[in-house]
Amino acid sequence: MSVHEAEMAFLQLFEQLEIQSKSSKRRFPLLKLPRVVLLECIENLDIFEIIFFSLLSKRVKSIAKSVCLNLLDIHMSSTEKGPQIWFKLPNTPGLDWTIDYSTEIEVAAYPFFQSFFDGPHANHFLFIYDNGIEDLKQMVDHICEVFRSPISGIYIFDESHIEWIERIIKFQPTDRVWINKDIIKSVETLDRVFKNLKGTKYFRLESISIDENFQYKEPIPFRSITIDNSHWVTLSSILNGTNSIIRLYESKFTSKDINTILKEWQTGSKLRNLEFLLIQTTTSLDAAEVFEELNWTDGDEIDGRPTTV
Amino acid sequence: MSSTEQGTSSAAPAEPTTAPESAAAPEVPESFYYVHGKDKVVHKVSAGALQHSALIHGMISNLGYTEEQAKANPFPFENIDGDILQMVVDWCNQHKGKPTPPEDTNLPKQKEKLFDLVLAVNYLEIKELLTYCCKQVAMMVKGKSPEEIREIWMIPTDAEDEAAEKEAKKRAGKEAAGETAAAAGDAK
Repeated sequence: MSVHEAEMAFLQLFEQLEIQSKSSKRRFPLLKLPRVVLLECIENLDIFEIIFFSLLSKRVKSIAKSVCLNLLDIHMSSTEKGPQIWFKLPNTPGLDWTIDYSTEIEVAAYPFFQSFFDGPHANHFLFIYDNGIEDLKQMVDHICEVFRSPISGIYIFDESHIEWIERIIKFQPTDRVWINKDIIKSVETLDRVFKNLKGTKYFRLESISIDENFQYKEPIPFRSITIDNSHWVTLSSILNGTNSIIRLYESKFTSKDINTILKEWQTGSKLRNLEFLLIQTTTSLDAAEVFEELNWTDGDEIDGRPTTV
Repeated sequence: MSSTEQGTSSAAPAEPTTAPESAAAPEVPESFYYVHGKDKVVHKVSAGALQHSALIHGMISNLGYTEEQAKANPFPFENIDGDILQMVVDWCNQHKGKPTPPEDTNLPKQKEKLFDLVLAVNYLEIKELLTYCCKQVAMMVKGKSPEEIREIWMIPTDAEDEAAEKEAKKRAGKEAAGETAAAAGDAK
């Protein structure tokens, strides 16, 4: 869908009104203002208002793009009630902006705003009727285009997101990707995700729905990986990788596998970028075998924290 | 606050009533200048109040008028409606020599008045008042839906923009053709 079509779809969603027949007495011809003044007015809008404004036409979208607001911390996620787009401006850490797609009340009531305050923390919500995942995708595309901000995190909770994320990541750097459980159902999809999302810094994969005997032997191309139900991740995949942070849960690694990893890490022949390693296994481990032939010292610490200063 | 009187831009204005003085009288007598808008009503404004306007302040500095010369030659702002200029003068007087508060609730609520005020303030280069006005403009759409924003701010649709562009091109083409024909006529 082209950007123009996306805009038209939004306008239909918001029941665009025919304004030409209305009297101009009670209205304000904003676009007749000098450009500098117009931009100052727009700079006084909040994030939701800028988004709504930018949806109105191609001309105003280009005006909205001139406003320097490129520090948005954009997340796309999902809750039990429905999908959300979530922003945070770094200069207001106690303030969240959330576009919440829901169907809880009658359609005519949307869109509407609500604010919640929790001590020093505030959250402004914009509720939009959830017409399906396409609306959410269009909104993310639109926001990324208007604010030209990198996406901080995307939570993939539907298989159809994968192709869209692959496309969006090509022009919009994305720091973190989470993939919900059972979204990846084939080796081809897994390969494609690893190939096309490799610019991502943090990658979390919940359990996959592939044959239990499946094993992955290639390096996993992300700086930081967290994999739940990681029985399919092999020793060669870890040893040949360039990851800095590795967290593997429900791994099938044996004591000998872990010993090999630790030795390679300690000698520095492999895993040269590795800074943090966590492996939680479903197999029982033999501590003597895990630490065999390793130079190790007793740490004076509790859960990684030193006991003395 | 200054009072106003009817006058003409060409003739010397009759003596206007003076602007209010601050509680503590200045040691040096304050100088006054005169401005008028489209309605030719002359406003007497102190130099201190006029400092808010970068445009007028620049004019005063460059011209080096004496008070008599200033009275005889009020600054004409023919592109500003009289009531709008009155609002601007009032604001400048109210905020003379005072730190400006973060909000100003005295701005007009009527949209057409606010539009004219924004244009005037921008022309006169009164930065702080312009900031208030821009905030007021933004407040118009607080909590509004896209279609309400479109209506309030008179934002044309893409189709309307395209139609207007076509029309402008057509008009420009006609004008260019007219000029060419006129030039050819002159050459003969």
